[in-house]
Amino acid sequence: MDLISVKSRTKASLKYLGEGTEFAIIYLKNIILTLLSLGLYYPWAKVEILKYHYQSTELDQARFSFHATGKEVFKGFIKIYVIFIFLYGFLFYALRTQNQVLTVAAVSIFYLLLILIVPFAIHGAVRYRSSRSSWKGIHFKYLGDRTEFFWLYMKGALLTICTLGIYGAWFHVDMRKYIFSHLRFGNLSFNFKGNGGDLFVINLKFVILFYLTLGIYSFWYYRNLVRFYVDNTSLVQNGKEVKFKTNMQAGDVFELLFINGLLLVFTLGIAMPWVTVRTLNFFFRFLEIDGELNTNAIQQASYDNYDDAIGDDMLDFFDIDLL
Amino acid sequence: MAFKVHFFDGKTSRTHEASVSANSVNWKICYVDENAMPIEISWNPQKIKKADVYTEGLVSFTYGDTFPFQKLESTDEQFINYVNNSHQHLRSSIDLLLHKSKWRSIVFLLIGILGIGFVSYFYVIPTVATGFATSLSQENVIDFGDHVFNVLSVESKMNENASKELQDFVDEMEISSEFPLKVYVAESEELNAFALSGGKIVVFSSLLKKIETKEQLAALIGHEVSHIENRHMLKNIARNFGGAIFVSVLFGDINGATTVLMENAHLLGQLSFTRSLEKEADIFGLDIMRDNNLNLHGMPELFEILKKETAVDVPSYLSNHPMLKDRIEYTIEIAEQQEMILENRVLDLKWKAIKEAI
Repeated sequence: MDLISVKSRTKASLKYLGEGTEFAIIYLKNIILTLLSLGLYYPWAKVEILKYHYQSTELDQARFSFHATGKEVFKGFIKIYVIFIFLYGFLFYALRTQNQVLTVAAVSIFYLLLILIVPFAIHGAVRYRSSRSSWKGIHFKYLGDRTEFFWLYMKGALLTICTLGIYGAWFHVDMRKYIFSHLRFGNLSFNFKGNGGDLFVINLKFVILFYLTLGIYSFWYYRNLVRFYVDNTSLVQNGKEVKFKTNMQAGDVFELLFINGLLLVFTLGIAMPWVTVRTLNFFFRFLEIDGELNTNAIQQASYDNYDDAIGDDMLDFFDIDLL
Repeated sequence: MAFKVHFFDGKTSRTHEASVSANSVNWKICYVDENAMPIEISWNPQKIKKADVYTEGLVSFTYGDTFPFQKLESTDEQFINYVNNSHQHLRSSIDLLLHKSKWRSIVFLLIGILGIGFVSYFYVIPTVATGFATSLSQENVIDFGDHVFNVLSVESKMNENASKELQDFVDEMEISSEFPLKVYVAESEELNAFALSGGKIVVFSSLLKKIETKEQLAALIGHEVSHIENRHMLKNIARNFGGAIFVSVLFGDINGATTVLMENAHLLGQLSFTRSLEKEADIFGLDIMRDNNLNLHGMPELFEILKKETAVDVPSYLSNHPMLKDRIEYTIEIAEQQEMILENRVLDLKWKAIKEAI
């Protein structure tokens, strides 16, 4: 009965509707609370800020939701601090004994653990973020296997070290492919089809042209990078592929970064919330969903009530960004 | 009264144009589903979960203890007003207040942050840092000083004979110290001396060669002992560390230019603190000389020697020491008030022995 079909066949597009002044209030309020609580409030601040960005992002007249709680994120941080207190305790104990064998062992264990912890942190972070993200009540879910991801990571990290960083591009793409192929949104799945060679060429061109153009090439590099990530990402709905696309140009990137830079320098950083909003708005403005995504027919799948935020916190601790 | 909302049943992503008839005990949500069947759902307001974040002109709520959760979103101004006025647990009164007049709130919040930053940086951090340095156990202070001493590897350049004679000189002086004093003479062209936490003092040979009287040497020792007694090194490190962490936490994530600006401001502030410690050490050093009935003019004389040997007297705001000119002035002023000076033969002999040893 095509005549009365309510299926949405129009091109769906994502929009970021956050406003600078509104976000500034949330941002500044959270800085005050974090300062007054000597940092203890940070998990709640982080959650509220993410909630704001989610709730300001719209697709098909519906907003995204972030369901994490400050308490979950706080528990994650406590675990990290306990781990690090033990690690540092051991390290300092070894240094104090002035026993060289013990010191070398302690330093090695310390750095080895730091390296080994990263894949677990990424896995945990993706799983936690996915489980706490939804749109129109439909939840995201990450089905990746921790051990499998760990070995993928170790293989990539070792090859990257052995090739003096050259393999880094392939390593990065392999991780992305794994994560996206195990990511679900209701009954939709994701795909990442980029290949390491392309990313390597993008990075290589940057290294060569950055100096030749006195840094001006950075704008093209940023555009190429965003295009590489976005254009190679797709959604699969009922066996049909829906691609993401971005039509961002180097001039747009220049405008964004130039104005952001001016704002930050001349306000001594006070304009940070406006800069964040501008940047998110910019990114979503150029993001298109290229294909027929039926935004009304996504089926809910099972729920992964994963409340352990330690991975997410760990990445925060190491200052690693998930995207 | 019925409000317009978008309702999501949690099973599919279908948007249902729904109406909500709400009161304090029940929200009745009505819509027509894809099969043209009228659907009616009840929500108990006490069990509704709010979004916990403020966005202008939009409210969203989820409902249900078990998966899948239902959700509604609304941009209906009347509904938003109804929720704000009638369901206190579904909104945050602080957020409502803050977002009422946005620019005013931003200004207040910025003033608040500046105020907290000011009080923390100028009052809380120095107090905590000084408290930490003062309360550290004697054993830990000595350990720390020994650690720094080992790192500096002074011992490789040590003049053992001169060190022994200088130690005898210090032992002869009347100094009540919390820490056992141990002095070293290190061979160096540098015109300097320093004290480490926990009682170690290192004097460079070239400075010792320039010193002409036992009073000048006693002034130097008194100054360095003061650093040890007052735990200046620890206070300085604790304050510097606390301030640096504070600056990096507050400005580190913003941008390079601001961070550099703030770090330099912190550095200048720190230099000013170090200068105040140096002045304290000068005054305390004079006290030690007075206890030993030595002529206090030894201290300004020592500074005269240093001044002669230093090409430029760096303006104090750029230096970790006060200007030598000023140090000479205030120490002379104190020395002029001295009432009793006694000869000390033993110290004279010890001083001669040092001179012979270098």
